[in-house]
Amino acid sequence: MSLKDLLSPFYVWQRAFEKPYTSIKPIQERPGSAAYRGFHINLSEECIGCGTCHKICQNDAIDMVRVEAYEGRSGDSGLRPRFDYGRCCWCALCVDMCPASSLRMSNEYTWITSDPTEYHFTAGVEHTSWQENPLGYRRAEGYHLYPTRRIDMEMRPPEDSVHSFDEVVLGYSEEQALLEADRCIECGICVATCPAHMDVPDYIRSIRDRDYEKGLQLMYRTNPFPATCGRICTRRCESVCPVGIQGEPIAIRWLKRFIVDQVAPEDYTRILADQTGDSGYRVAIIGAGPGGLSAAYYLRRKGHAVTVFESQAMAGGMLRYGVPSYRLPDEALNKDINYIQSLGVEIRFNTRVGREIQFSELLDVHDAVFISTGLSLPSSMRIQGEDHPRVLSGLQVLDDVASGRDPGIGGQVAVIGGGNVAMDAARVSRRLGAEVTILYRRRIADMPADAEEIHESQEEGCRIVTQAIPVEVLNAAQPGQVSLQWGEAEMVQDPKGGRPRPVLQEDRMHTDTFDCIISAIGQGGDLGFIPGNLQEQLAIEWGKFIPGEYQHSALAKVFVGGDVANRTADAISAIEDGHHAARGIDRFLNPETYSNSG
Amino acid sequence: MNTVDEILDYAIDQEQQAADFYAELANRAEKAGMKEILLDFAAEEQSHKDRLLAVKAGERELAPEQEVLDLKISDYLVEVDASEGISYQDALIVAMKRERAAFELYTDMAAQVPASHLKEVLQGLAKEEAKHKLFFESEYDERVLMDN
Repeated sequence: MSLKDLLSPFYVWQRAFEKPYTSIKPIQERPGSAAYRGFHINLSEECIGCGTCHKICQNDAIDMVRVEAYEGRSGDSGLRPRFDYGRCCWCALCVDMCPASSLRMSNEYTWITSDPTEYHFTAGVEHTSWQENPLGYRRAEGYHLYPTRRIDMEMRPPEDSVHSFDEVVLGYSEEQALLEADRCIECGICVATCPAHMDVPDYIRSIRDRDYEKGLQLMYRTNPFPATCGRICTRRCESVCPVGIQGEPIAIRWLKRFIVDQVAPEDYTRILADQTGDSGYRVAIIGAGPGGLSAAYYLRRKGHAVTVFESQAMAGGMLRYGVPSYRLPDEALNKDINYIQSLGVEIRFNTRVGREIQFSELLDVHDAVFISTGLSLPSSMRIQGEDHPRVLSGLQVLDDVASGRDPGIGGQVAVIGGGNVAMDAARVSRRLGAEVTILYRRRIADMPADAEEIHESQEEGCRIVTQAIPVEVLNAAQPGQVSLQWGEAEMVQDPKGGRPRPVLQEDRMHTDTFDCIISAIGQGGDLGFIPGNLQEQLAIEWGKFIPGEYQHSALAKVFVGGDVANRTADAISAIEDGHHAARGIDRFLNPETYSNSG
Repeated sequence: MNTVDEILDYAIDQEQQAADFYAELANRAEKAGMKEILLDFAAEEQSHKDRLLAVKAGERELAPEQEVLDLKISDYLVEVDASEGISYQDALIVAMKRERAAFELYTDMAAQVPASHLKEVLQGLAKEEAKHKLFFESEYDERVLMDN
């Protein structure tokens, strides 16, 4: 080795104190323009995890990841977008598409790190310097990649509908349905919210594909009452639809109805191709309402023999005797029920358990029993004079009309209550020619009835008097009439929280005279058919069953569901209860089949 | 009853009687789920008694000046029987009316007593009963008057 070779490493030191030719960082950071498409910002509290950004990203640069803090929130998947900046091309399609408007971009664009894995980050969850940046790209006000207004539904005008029991909602044409179906962004948030977990995005896609048979098959997987729910569902799905955040939610209920209306009932057997074997087990169902018949349908598909005990002359429960035909025509309800019956479900009409047959007999001769008797007893106001002959119950009026009887309401009617039964009793009374006043103790915003029902009742001429508390029923001067003393209420904040409570103002009392008063303040379950010794063994709270896993009661053979066992008391929840109970009964009857499946 | 202790003893005895009343009714209750509810009522009355015992022992003070919301629900409801077939709605009516009667009793007694510590105790007891009435009326408003 030469001397030069030995000294050469030391030559570099002669430049150690010279000015470097390179810079550690770009000399001066130039800020991006005010609308620059830089690093992503996500307002995680406003994000609902719909995944639309993930779906629209052309570079697969967005994954949806679980974030514990957002799990379990209604209308929220609990997922949040995670960006891969090795793939992102900054096109901003994700921002333009975001239905919650939670996604935006900052004008920051430099990020220097020696760890390449850092370029994956969950915006709005992991700390970044740009999350609070007020500059950067935002979707322009009013600009959307999809139509935000829903396709209007054609309805009978109120001046016509008030004289008729014909259906008010006329349904979409195919052209309208296709346009409405096109608005769906297929996020699936609705699936989790629907009590029956119906596959909404897929059956809406079947409309776009004009494959209505496929749509019907998809719906029957979780709901054997699609014609009914296509008309009167409480549609919680629509309340969480992300499209509704910036506009109007997809008309999921009307699209469901459209699919069912395209399929003739005589084609159901071929299209659905349900197999019903014979397991050798016998199941009794008490109540032929949506809960009972949903259980019957899914139990028959498992091969179990099903007998339904129904106190009325026809099946449907509250759907037939409590929902007027202008909202749910008999043909639609019968379409659902006839198909269920066609699978070999036996229904014993005019058979009230506890009267024509005893509950203990059902237990003795069946392998399982499902109770879904609904809420059939009208609640009492418990005010003075309530037993006046001109005080009628809302349920009785609706039952009379559904059964073709004249409820004898007269020309001036007061309806007390703010639920759907009250609205239906009022609208039925209008159709029978009465002038109707609805008295409700709270505000319109507090009414438990569907907003749509409240709106339509007003359009049809029902007068709603809010913050009105009935205090006494009195004899009227004219025979055949009745007077109601009621007082105005002030809404007062409860110091313990919760919604404001109405407080009667005793210096503002009124007395009005009517031909009848229809009381529709709520209803309860009738559990009198269950012997006392068995009632003690069933978990019952506030007059309702408390079901266990798979709707199982505390009695080995007994399962419970529907309005008499849930808090929501709507058709779709009863349908899901029935489906769930059918799974539970099948597990109970065939434990060995499930022993390894958890 | 002329002394504060005598009044408090009376009030404590009334709460015990109320607790016994609901416990006995629970034993006879026929309707599903009512036994548990009536036992809850009995426990509520027992907690009222415990609060008054704490007042008597000097561990807690009554609040005669406290404003208590009056929903006036029970004022216009009919009397109902506390029978073995009692429903939840009727059980709440019985409870509301008992609390209202106690409230009126202490209010009337306070009106007849000249300004004194005894008067303040009676007014404080009336406010206690008003709070109990509000508790049951709020339950009635939430659970029975849901659609109204």
